[in-house]
Amino acid sequence: MKNRSSSQFSHIKLPYLLTLPIILLVALLVVYPISQAIWTSLTDKTLGAAVDEKINFVGLRNYNSLLHSPTFLASLRITTTYALLNVVFSVGAGLLTAILVNKKFRGRGGIRALMTAPWAFPDIASVIIFIWILNSAFGVVGILNQHLPFDTSGGWLTSSPYAFVSIIVMSMWKTFPFYSIVFLAALQGVPEDLTEAATVDGAGPFQRFKTVTLPSIRPTFVLLALLAFIFAFRQFSMIYLTTGGGPERDTETLVLAVYNTAFKYYDLALSSAIGVVGLIFTFLIAVAFLALQSRAEKSNS
Amino acid sequence: MAIVRGTKLSNRVRAVFRYFTIFLVSLLVIFPLYWMLVTAVQAPEVTLRYPPVLYPIDPNLKGFHAIFFEKQMGKWLINSGFVAILTTAITTALSILGAYALSWFKWRGKMAFGLMLLFTQMLPEALIVIPIFKIYSNFHWTDSLATLSLIHAAFVIPVGVWILKPAFEGIPKEVNEAAQIDGCTPMGILRKIIIPLCSPAILAVGVVAFFASWGEYLIAVTMISTEGKYPASVGLASTMSQLDTPIQTLLSGAIVYGLPPVILYMFIQRFVISGLTAGAIKG
Repeated sequence: MKNRSSSQFSHIKLPYLLTLPIILLVALLVVYPISQAIWTSLTDKTLGAAVDEKINFVGLRNYNSLLHSPTFLASLRITTTYALLNVVFSVGAGLLTAILVNKKFRGRGGIRALMTAPWAFPDIASVIIFIWILNSAFGVVGILNQHLPFDTSGGWLTSSPYAFVSIIVMSMWKTFPFYSIVFLAALQGVPEDLTEAATVDGAGPFQRFKTVTLPSIRPTFVLLALLAFIFAFRQFSMIYLTTGGGPERDTETLVLAVYNTAFKYYDLALSSAIGVVGLIFTFLIAVAFLALQSRAEKSNS
Repeated sequence: MAIVRGTKLSNRVRAVFRYFTIFLVSLLVIFPLYWMLVTAVQAPEVTLRYPPVLYPIDPNLKGFHAIFFEKQMGKWLINSGFVAILTTAITTALSILGAYALSWFKWRGKMAFGLMLLFTQMLPEALIVIPIFKIYSNFHWTDSLATLSLIHAAFVIPVGVWILKPAFEGIPKEVNEAAQIDGCTPMGILRKIIIPLCSPAILAVGVVAFFASWGEYLIAVTMISTEGKYPASVGLASTMSQLDTPIQTLLSGAIVYGLPPVILYMFIQRFVISGLTAGAIKG
């Protein structure tokens, strides 16, 4: 009897013990740094500040200056545009290619394996490839340039709007094949008898897609759109190492703004305030993700 | 009859169109990788010709030689491997424990724990890398590969937990009851039943953790300042910014560093998908 009760006791404690290492790690490397960022954003700290220099509490002054800063507002717009275009092009291309390879054909396995390659390829290696392809003097993109109806002589990574187009194309190359694989998995879950029944009823391919396929892959579609948005929002190294946020600050997304404001403009406090705005964004996205997920689970059961 | 022939013909047209599009898409996906391979084995004189030559002429391996012996690629790869192995060990161990708590126990705070993982997973590292650097400076933990792996682990553990949770839940409850009757403790059930049964998913977590760390750049470049301690991502990025590096050398480095994850991911893509989509998509 005594034995039993002690085992039940440890049973109650056990989940907390199991998760304790993760909680400690996240507390040290996520929660505490966040509290530091929030605190710094309420001060006038600069990056070069000496250890003994007095740091003043300035309340919400940094947030107020963000509201009136054209570069910050531009950065919000750039982030949103970049993320939404990623959703449209990458998820769109992913769905289209998944539909294409959904039927059995020779070499399908090979194509599917191929599709994982850009996703698994590390960011820095991808950056090296694209900097070389888009090089304004010797890049292979030069072959394309002479056939384009617009002037790209300012360089694909160094003039607007081509720098922005370039980072979109790079992100698309890297992500759409992965979305395609996820869509393919979802498409294979579409009940075949439904498709057959629709065919017997005389539905054409577009009608079949609209009435049978689309409803059953909708949860996947919505989740992937959100994931694409998150990946774009998080993307740092691919943009930083190709355009650095430039020309001017035309490709400076929010995460780059945090970094550049601290290390290029030495304003640590303002950088932290931008970071806190980003954290609020992240939180909202996580809540949206949860809401969608629970809705998807409900519709599954 | 005519109608049947008509559909056959349009089917054929459709098939041709489909194959053509598949061919075109594959070409777009593969071209940057192909171009990397071509440039890496090409002599610089050929590479700088205009218009560019689209196939390798007189291929050689001088780029590979240079990245290892004129740069420190060998050392960088070992450093990356070291950080990645530590990250893998920490991530795998902690994800197993976390996923076990989430899948087999009812407890207060379970929701909050899940939310915390989700938030961490979605958090852009760039937003908090500066405060993390300050904390590490205070501890004198900067410029160390071992402590770098802790940060990598913190950001990849959520993915690990989401990969393992559905796998752990897939084990029938009867197995659990039978084991309890046999006198197995909860940790015994984890060790003797769950871990062996879920070893493919655990292996997938290991691979994901290894290459998340292998590919990471921002945290590594912020924490590591000694050139001899650079992981490959930082070493290659610094080589890239030295404008006198021959392009052949740089692209050879990209191949050596970039191809191993590609090859391994092809084997585990199924698990990766379910983990990154937080287990919501049954694939």
